Amino acid sequence: MKLSLSWIGEYVALPADMDLKKLAYDLTMSTVEVEDVEYLARRFDKMVVGVINSVEPHPNADKLRVCKVDLGGDVKEIVCGGINLRDGMRVAVACPGAMVRWHGEGEPVEIKNSKLRGVASYGMICASDEIGLGDLFPASQEAEILDLSAFDAAAGTPLAEALDLDDVLLEIDNKSMTNRPDLWGHYGIAREIAALYNLPLKTIEPYKPDVQSDFKVEIEDPDRCTRYIGVEMSGVAVKPSPYQMQSRIWKAGMRPINALVDITNYVMLATGNPTHAFDADNIVDHIVVRRAADGETLTLLNEKELALCGDDLVITDAKGPVALAGVMGGAKDSILPKTTRVILEVANFESTGIRRTALRYDTRTEASSRYEKAVDPERCDQALSLSMHYFQELYPELKVTGFCDRYVKKLQRAEIDVSLTWLAKRLGKDLSNEVIRQKLELLGFDVAIDGDNMHVVAPTWRSTGDISIKDDVMEEVARLYGYDNFEATEFTTTFTAAINQLDQTLVRGIKEYLAFRCGMQEVYTYPWMNDVYANAVLQNLDGVLKLSTPPAPELSYIRSSLLPNLCEAVMKNERYFDEFSLFEEAQVFFDRNYTSPYDPTEALPEQRRHIAAALASGRKDVGLLFREAKGVLEYMPRFTHMEGFAFRKEEKPVWADSVVWLNVYRGEEKIGDLGLLSKKVSLECGIKNLSVMLFEIDATKLVPLRSRTNKFAHLAEYPETDYDISMLFASDVKWTDIYDAILGQKKASALLKDASFVDEYRGKQIPSGKKSVTIRLTIGSGEKTLTSQEIESAAGQVMKKLEKKLGAELRTQ
Amino acid sequence: MKDKINGILSEAEIKIAAAASEGELQNVKSAFTGKQGSLTLLMKEMPKLDPALRPEMGKLLNLAKNRVTELIDEKRMELKLKASEVSPDFDCSVPGLLPPGGALHPITQMCYDLNDTFRSMGFEIFQEDDITSELYAFDKLNFPPNHPARESMDTYWLDGHSTGSTNEKLCLRPHLTGGSVRYMQTHKPPFRFVYPGRVYRNETTDAHHERAFFQYEALIVDKDITFTSGKVMIKAILSKVFGTDVPVRMRSGFFPFVEPGFEIDMQCQVCGGKGCSVCKHVGWIEVMPGGSPHPNVLRAAGLDPDVYTGFYVNIGLDRLVMMRYGVDDVRLFHSADLRFLGQFR
Repeated sequence: MKLSLSWIGEYVALPADMDLKKLAYDLTMSTVEVEDVEYLARRFDKMVVGVINSVEPHPNADKLRVCKVDLGGDVKEIVCGGINLRDGMRVAVACPGAMVRWHGEGEPVEIKNSKLRGVASYGMICASDEIGLGDLFPASQEAEILDLSAFDAAAGTPLAEALDLDDVLLEIDNKSMTNRPDLWGHYGIAREIAALYNLPLKTIEPYKPDVQSDFKVEIEDPDRCTRYIGVEMSGVAVKPSPYQMQSRIWKAGMRPINALVDITNYVMLATGNPTHAFDADNIVDHIVVRRAADGETLTLLNEKELALCGDDLVITDAKGPVALAGVMGGAKDSILPKTTRVILEVANFESTGIRRTALRYDTRTEASSRYEKAVDPERCDQALSLSMHYFQELYPELKVTGFCDRYVKKLQRAEIDVSLTWLAKRLGKDLSNEVIRQKLELLGFDVAIDGDNMHVVAPTWRSTGDISIKDDVMEEVARLYGYDNFEATEFTTTFTAAINQLDQTLVRGIKEYLAFRCGMQEVYTYPWMNDVYANAVLQNLDGVLKLSTPPAPELSYIRSSLLPNLCEAVMKNERYFDEFSLFEEAQVFFDRNYTSPYDPTEALPEQRRHIAAALASGRKDVGLLFREAKGVLEYMPRFTHMEGFAFRKEEKPVWADSVVWLNVYRGEEKIGDLGLLSKKVSLECGIKNLSVMLFEIDATKLVPLRSRTNKFAHLAEYPETDYDISMLFASDVKWTDIYDAILGQKKASALLKDASFVDEYRGKQIPSGKKSVTIRLTIGSGEKTLTSQEIESAAGQVMKKLEKKLGAELRTQ
Repeated sequence: MKDKINGILSEAEIKIAAAASEGELQNVKSAFTGKQGSLTLLMKEMPKLDPALRPEMGKLLNLAKNRVTELIDEKRMELKLKASEVSPDFDCSVPGLLPPGGALHPITQMCYDLNDTFRSMGFEIFQEDDITSELYAFDKLNFPPNHPARESMDTYWLDGHSTGSTNEKLCLRPHLTGGSVRYMQTHKPPFRFVYPGRVYRNETTDAHHERAFFQYEALIVDKDITFTSGKVMIKAILSKVFGTDVPVRMRSGFFPFVEPGFEIDMQCQVCGGKGCSVCKHVGWIEVMPGGSPHPNVLRAAGLDPDVYTGFYVNIGLDRLVMMRYGVDDVRLFHSADLRFLGQFR
């Protein structure tokens, strides 16, 4: 909202030396956010009123003229293409250094002394839109120069001064005043400033009607229309309003139209109470405020045709709706060019109804945006008084022929009891009763203190919901006392136990393990999935939740797995990297198992926390990539201190290669999958060359250890020896079979400490149907240092066992 | 003869001591004990000597030879230990190798930084589900029905759950604060917790607006807390993020779920409060809302507002991370682009 400081100054006596920076700061700290303080005159810097002495043709251009312009003392030659130039005309001249917009378009440019088609020109004679005044002085045709002849200003007068634009505009963030309906007008802000600085505020005396007639209005729905004042007047006409009214309306960001409309807008901008005027000759019988009947129609001033519904409040006459209450007037019955009699509406409508209607027809207006904040009905008195003042001033012939004030639901001022002890505790500061009383009274509250109890009655303009509980009263005291004047208070606490959140520590541990130990990069992706990847990776989307208004049509599914988005991330990164690994920790959602963990009436779908990763490589062979990915999972419990899990091969994930996959189990429960992304799904995801190992586990199923459990093992007293053996096995023999054979129930040799996989090989020197496996045996004794014979004999026992159990042969080459 | 031997010996000592390399040392060796070496030549003269002197001179000569060999061996060891393992033109200016390792997302890093700070002040860490109901997103936070904020937050409603009463309408949470009510419902005050999480708004994206972004909420509830205690929490956050004490101010602000409510500004770190284009020439930058939980919110959580009160702040993590590193496009956080994320190791 834009506010004119000079207009505010009409209601509150601002000191002449007012520090505007401080005003903006104080308002921001205590009331509303002042986003900008604009010295309006700066827009018209180096612009002056000029008087044209002569207009001559341009020697080299048909459409240009050369004018001699009196700039107050100096007469300068200015080249101009205006079509309405004439001798004696007062014009706005932008002198060198001024900023203008050529033809009202584009970025502002600086005026310089220049030559136009060979003739020197000092500055520019301006059209209204070239200096940002197009709304205040609308041009009737192209290339029309702004004619200021009606202004009584001498040549050379600064333009801002001549046009009464030497003002300051306060720009206030609307969002910061949604809860303060009282501030939506110049008078409201003036009242707040008066309270902040204890300055005298002008009162607006109520209008006293003096008319006897049978003019009436009726309110059928007192809940939705609490008050309606109708004033019927004759002796008016459509004409321009006085310049000051026009310029103020313009400063506030609206456009002047004609005197009748301008009065209604001016009053709204002054008081925050919207008003409207109907052409009285078009109103049949009398005005009735009621709900619309379903299917009734109304054409608005903006030509929008509405089919109304029963929730809409309308102003009607005997023929039907003439206005959408509190939102916009009807096209047919509002002010028309030939209007001579009007009915002025000064009314109060209930906020939420106005809001529903305005949203329903996508018609938010200056009026509706004020009503929907809950304007108090007492304000109608100010709006009426101000309206009548201007009607009478602008139309001396005016006669009030009818008046009716229906105030059907009187506003109750909010009354609140506040304990002064409570107040002091919550403020963290002991303010004297006198300070508290003074601050509240400045804001219009009535205050009665009796012992510890303070009885507070809020002013009418704060009683529509804004002030309703004692905490509101505390805020009023605190903000007026000044938040800067409260020092930070430390908080104290008593500790009963250390914070020990094992689940939080575990998830953090896993993320740090993946990032720092496993070298993976954490990513975040959106909770919604692109159909392409969802279909490719998950294949069946039954039971996957959707958004009703997704960011894009193809992004409607919200994820039940982290893998589709990870595959998309792999695809995107393939352009730049040929080897990388990613992981994500986030929630996944399922349209099933609805529960009510907090409120019995609420039913929330199943939501779990998953951790998933993708290891992608265009260089490594799949076997190695598989072992890396498996290793990440295999060692995770050990490094992050949680109960371990096991791999099984029970159910192939739909996205996985037919051979390279495993399921992850904790006890008998499957908690995740590990596998190579199948070629088919890779291609569907647009992954061209990379092999991708994926895993996804359900973090909610992981169980952190209460404390570290790994045991200390004594260091070997006598040396242990690593002894590698390579043997040929049938190619379908698994490492787990080999390991079991060596170290299973019965150890192959008493001296065997451990056996580990080194590598396996299939190839030229190996007979078909066979593979060579290299096994590293750790051999040692707790009693002595072994001789090489003893070591070889232990290894021999292992080889013999493998021969016997698995048909292994010693590799001869 | 004797003098000759002693002369050669002292000459050898000087030359050995002066040898600067293995090669020089080798030359010294052949000059004294080689085939044409001075000691070897003397040895060859022995037969010409008076037989009576031979034993003594032979002994002296052997001693001298052994002494020279010994000195050369010592010198050789000394040179070996002194020498570099590589040639002198080894280039130490080539860059080091990047240690292996990935990284946490910069948002996670910020979040963990703040978690550590608040943990040290006795705060718990709370986590809640992304999908919530309108009941918790708005009703329990004192948003009246039809309140503008219900629409201004442009919530993502779930298909098949977007109509009906507020307990039936489900959405991706538009903010974290509804989840805080769930915490308050299930814990006994006094308590203090932080609550990091991602929230969702259905809006058009650009460099400064995202549909999914991260908030960090901190809430303390106790008897007789004053809103001025909030400043301590705010300073804890900002000093952790910026590594220095940042001046803050609390000013009047309105949010339905707090009373009183504040907009919290910090001094612009670019201009130090003097005013610049970053802070729109006011010297302050709005960083977070805050305030005491509204009595209706405490009531909704089953707490007696006459007994308990508290202080809440909610800060946008994306914005903080952007300020920390000078990131100029919020959309990068969800891009999963390794060229971006790899910078935050």
